Amino acid sequence: MKPMFLPEVESNPQPGPTTDLIHIAQSAGAEYPKIWHLFGYRPQATTHLGAFTHEIMRGDCPLSSGIRELIAAFTSYRNDCPF
Amino acid sequence: MPHIPLAEGLPGIRGLFAFRPETAKPLCELADVLLHAPGRLTPGERELIATYVSSQNDCYYCQTAHGAIAAHHLGGNEQLVLDVKRDFERAGISDKLKALLAIAGNVQIGGKNVQPEDVERARQQGATDQEIHDTVLIAAAFCMYNRYVDGLATWAPQDVLTQAERT
Repeated sequence: MKPMFLPEVESNPQPGPTTDLIHIAQSAGAEYPKIWHLFGYRPQATTHLGAFTHEIMRGDCPLSSGIRELIAAFTSYRNDCPF
Repeated sequence: MPHIPLAEGLPGIRGLFAFRPETAKPLCELADVLLHAPGRLTPGERELIATYVSSQNDCYYCQTAHGAIAAHHLGGNEQLVLDVKRDFERAGISDKLKALLAIAGNVQIGGKNVQPEDVERARQQGATDQEIHDTVLIAAAFCMYNRYVDGLATWAPQDVLTQAERT
């Protein structure tokens, strides 16, 4: 995997659920998405981002979860973001 | 006119927050962390980054609201905010903030536009990884807020920009 721009972000995960996931993946020698390091670095921001994502993707709305994921996937495709 | 019926009298993102309180809460809390959580970037620097990105996205409400807050943090210096929006490389700000604004500007165009040279320049001007990280997150989040505000054509009072800004 390519190294990230900011080594401190990668090497300094803060205590929280994402950091636990990183440690589990690392100790199993498994590959994992590097966005986890961003989630692990600023847990305060991650909590709110997670709550927002959960509400907009799973909250009460006539759009089905499948259609919402399709909108997210289409936008990410347009932004050239494969993950 | 907003694309969907929103409460009258609530400008920009305020009308959207009232329309959908469930998403408003985490969006407000995220903005609060980005702009106010402890860190090496000053509140004025963070607001300037948010204002610059919003102005590059041509988001009237966000650049006006956060430009005013930035000016407040900078001792009422509205001219400095205007200078940053017009040409931050020539504005009276630190070389570190110029390097961070260059990164923010590239995030505004697209995340992949941030190059190793941009990160290196910021480091050479004394920026820490945390400052670079927070700059990218502020820039990315404000691109989202800007698109949210303008994607639904929210209303905002049009007489707020200073005379200098209109000319």
